[in-house]
Amino acid sequence: MMNYPLYLHFVFSLIGTLGFCILFHVPPRHMAQASIGGALGWITFVYFTSNGSSGIAACFLGACVISALAECFSRAGKEATALFIIPGIIPLVPGAPLYYTMRGLLDNDFDAAARLGTEALFMAGSIAIALLLVASITRILMVIIGGFQVKQ
Amino acid sequence: MNKEYQKKILVLALYAGEIMMKSGAEIYRVEDTIVRICKACKIPYVECFATGTGIFLSLDNGEPGDDMYTFLKRIDSTSIDLWKISEINSFSRKFSTTDLSVEAGLELLKKINARKTYHFPVKFMGACLIGSSFCLMFGGGISDCLGSLFSVAAAYSLSFLLDKFIFNNFIKIFLSCALATSIALLLNFTGLTSFIGPVIIGSVTIFLPGVAITNSARDLLSGEILAGIAGGTEAIISAVAIASGVGLILQLWHVLGGVL
Repeated sequence: MMNYPLYLHFVFSLIGTLGFCILFHVPPRHMAQASIGGALGWITFVYFTSNGSSGIAACFLGACVISALAECFSRAGKEATALFIIPGIIPLVPGAPLYYTMRGLLDNDFDAAARLGTEALFMAGSIAIALLLVASITRILMVIIGGFQVKQ
Repeated sequence: MNKEYQKKILVLALYAGEIMMKSGAEIYRVEDTIVRICKACKIPYVECFATGTGIFLSLDNGEPGDDMYTFLKRIDSTSIDLWKISEINSFSRKFSTTDLSVEAGLELLKKINARKTYHFPVKFMGACLIGSSFCLMFGGGISDCLGSLFSVAAAYSLSFLLDKFIFNNFIKIFLSCALATSIALLLNFTGLTSFIGPVIIGSVTIFLPGVAITNSARDLLSGEILAGIAGGTEAIISAVAIASGVGLILQLWHVLGGVL
């Protein structure tokens, strides 16, 4: 396996997320924002895993970054949040743990399969929780800000 | 308010909901948009219930002589199209803030729905970008990146072809992942690539259920328990399809005496 520095990871995930923007038909004017959000989320993940953090926690933090950026972009551009979250979140979806779980099962290495399979499951769960958390906090913030505006 | 007008509103709202649902929007957003459009037409009683495969909508004007309208719309296939979601989003905002007529709204929606996604060559290029960059992200070298590009190109072309003939998502993902894995194994066998893992991971990434996970999480947050659970199940089925497609070929390779 190769180990690339963080800035190269940024470039790779930028290109990867751009590819998903094309597949999912994101309007060209939003492609740059969506790709940058996805790339920042991915380097957050890489930074924390390379510093010894668990994949699950790193996935959670990465998804928080993507979701928070997506909320900012969508409020600024009056667009749907999905436009920025959906392409950006895909690098974090546990494809690699899924593959290594499969390899473990085929090699009769059930210890590795159980370990990696659990990790994959919890990584998917942590993405969901991060999205829920950031979206709920944003809603609460918007209600508070909206309440102030109504009172004035 | 006469009956025909009420029916037109019903058609307009359901059409908007159908386009959103087919483009892969979250269920709560579909319901929200439908209710918003109906309320903008001054209908006091609107109830909408949507699941991943259908939309129910009831309208009532609330006056003694009025009939209650209920309609059911079945949604069969979905393909992700964020452009349409974005357009419907701005349409519903425009419809509820300005006094756009129902006929003009329907025209606008037809125009939105007629818009095609990017052409195959562009999407194909997108898939190639994904394959090569994800291979690098998961620890592949330059040669692996090129190998992944080849296998993702084949897998994406196959899935595009299968999209035209069969509707079963499981089989489509299963066969495409099996093809990608076979190509990755052959490339590895001839010594063109050095790591097998990153090549396979890079080439199956385009089938990962990212949208299902994201949407089901956001639906669960909004209290759409049914749609959230359905989305979660969809994600699991896609993951199983990928894993079994890759696993079958790896196992066959192993049985035939190949070295992993």
